[in-house]
Amino acid sequence: MIPMLDQIWFPLSITLWIATMSSLLVLCSGVVIAYIFARRDFRGKKLAELLVTLPLVLPPTVIGYLLVILVGKNGFIGHLIFNVLGTGIMFTRQAAVIAAYTVSLPLMVRTAQAAIEAVDKELEYAAYILGRSEIETALLITLPLAKRGILAGLVLSFARAVGEFGATLMLAGNIPGKTNTMSISIYSAFQAGNNELAQVLVLILVLMSLLFIALTGKIANREKFEV
Amino acid sequence: MGVKVRLRKSYYEAEDSKRRRDRAKGRAKTGAKIEAKKAFMLDVSFEMENELVVLFGPSGSGKTTLFKCISGITDPDCGNITVNNKVYYNKNNKINLPIQKRNLGYVFQNYTLFPHMDVRKNIECGLKNWNKESREERVMEMLSLLHIEELEKRYPSQLSGGQKQRVALARALAPRPELLLLDEPFSALDKGIKTEFIEKIKSLQNKLKIPLLFITHSLEEAFMLADRVLVMHGGKIQQFGTLDEISYHPENRHVAELTGLSNLFDDARVVGYDEISKSTLLMSGDLKIRINSLELNPGNLVSWGIHPEDITFLLPGSEDQDKNIYQAYVSSVINKGPKKKITVKLIRHYKTLIAEVPAQFVESLRLSAGDSCLIKMEMSKVVVF
Repeated sequence: MIPMLDQIWFPLSITLWIATMSSLLVLCSGVVIAYIFARRDFRGKKLAELLVTLPLVLPPTVIGYLLVILVGKNGFIGHLIFNVLGTGIMFTRQAAVIAAYTVSLPLMVRTAQAAIEAVDKELEYAAYILGRSEIETALLITLPLAKRGILAGLVLSFARAVGEFGATLMLAGNIPGKTNTMSISIYSAFQAGNNELAQVLVLILVLMSLLFIALTGKIANREKFEV
Repeated sequence: MGVKVRLRKSYYEAEDSKRRRDRAKGRAKTGAKIEAKKAFMLDVSFEMENELVVLFGPSGSGKTTLFKCISGITDPDCGNITVNNKVYYNKNNKINLPIQKRNLGYVFQNYTLFPHMDVRKNIECGLKNWNKESREERVMEMLSLLHIEELEKRYPSQLSGGQKQRVALARALAPRPELLLLDEPFSALDKGIKTEFIEKIKSLQNKLKIPLLFITHSLEEAFMLADRVLVMHGGKIQQFGTLDEISYHPENRHVAELTGLSNLFDDARVVGYDEISKSTLLMSGDLKIRINSLELNPGNLVSWGIHPEDITFLLPGSEDQDKNIYQAYVSSVINKGPKKKITVKLIRHYKTLIAEVPAQFVESLRLSAGDSCLIKMEMSKVVVF
């Protein structure tokens, strides 16, 4: 049985779309969270760090279950979404983005936080003394100097989003032509005995992963200044 | 005008959780606040005009902490800081100007140039609200002021220590600060460049007419730079005065030791004032010393000392204690650059002195270990406190 082009193309495109959306969200929110964790002290910081890191160690099905409780029709956030949009988001590609975002955020926060912490605080003070506000300093000095770590975090998050399976399955389901991502398609093709399709999809994912590794290496070597 | 600083800041020893719990418990029981153990306290008060003041003291004496308080990187526990009538900090009036509004220049010990920006961008960083034209003009002005025009497009990693130093200074001066703080800017520089920079900084201070505080723990740098020296030790100002004052009229032992007074004795007693020779007589053990100082009460115990370079060697002759001339023998001669360090022992007085004299002088007198010699301590050069 030769796999149909559509059977490959759709999972690939939906996976890339989900991973891109999730990575954009992770980039925007993750860097801010990482900066706050690295540079600010507040009550409950340890707890907040724990909450953000938790998805790294929780089984994906548990994350999926908790997310269903949160964003499902009866969940707090789900109810809010329903009131605003007039429709639930369970079993949509948006739900898959939420699942991917949740599991990949800690990767970004941890890498970016370490990178920001490694930036010499005296450089920031030097910028403050030169009249730069904290936000300007973060944008001009801290984040550019932590760029490598942030990019590494981004690549990791993207890779994690591409490979996301458990939570996505619970939150977005496996609806052909709607939410069947690469990982999920491999599983269902294998279940249905469609080995050829499974093999092609596996091959594509392996190639993509190799690309990520090459990309990460490139980022690490691209600096033109020494710190 | 000028700078007025009066502040106090304590640092506490790191506590483990058990000690902290005990302290909290103790407070709950007695209602009294139990203080954590103090590890260090900075407690300073001084005023300066538009002059160059050297902050001189050993490492750990609180010099950098003082800079951090003035610049706003850390807050003092109490006190006030005023620069040119602008209140930076006042605990009582709850004024604490944000770092960004303090308008001072700060050159950190390791220069803190932004590694991802070239020299031009580094200098521009402080010119936030300037329009493009005046900003470019100001950068060029700074580049030529410090003679670094050719470095404009270089990154900090491509600069030598001396060049980084100039760029850091240019960056600090670009926004026209009201006060310039320099934290050991020479610690990483070669001696030759150091001397050149000291000249540069002195002339800059003359030109800009802003108060300039300069941290160093090197006596040599302090002597080359200062109008006035603020001697710090253990978080406190030990003395604030001219070079002559701190080296010949130290207020206490810390200052005496820090200014290189290595011949220091604590066993002197004031005998009395002699009208004829217009001098005061001290007895240090059975050694008679005559000094110029007047305000000493007979019977008082004082410390006395003499700087190694103020001991002079005379041609062999006889001892005359009334003129501070003593018989001694040389116990060792050590090379110390263009000078020689000679350790002499006073015959019959069990005192060892260290002298520093130019090398050619030692050669002409043919002094070597074991020789006997005659030394003199100039009356006006004997330090008493």
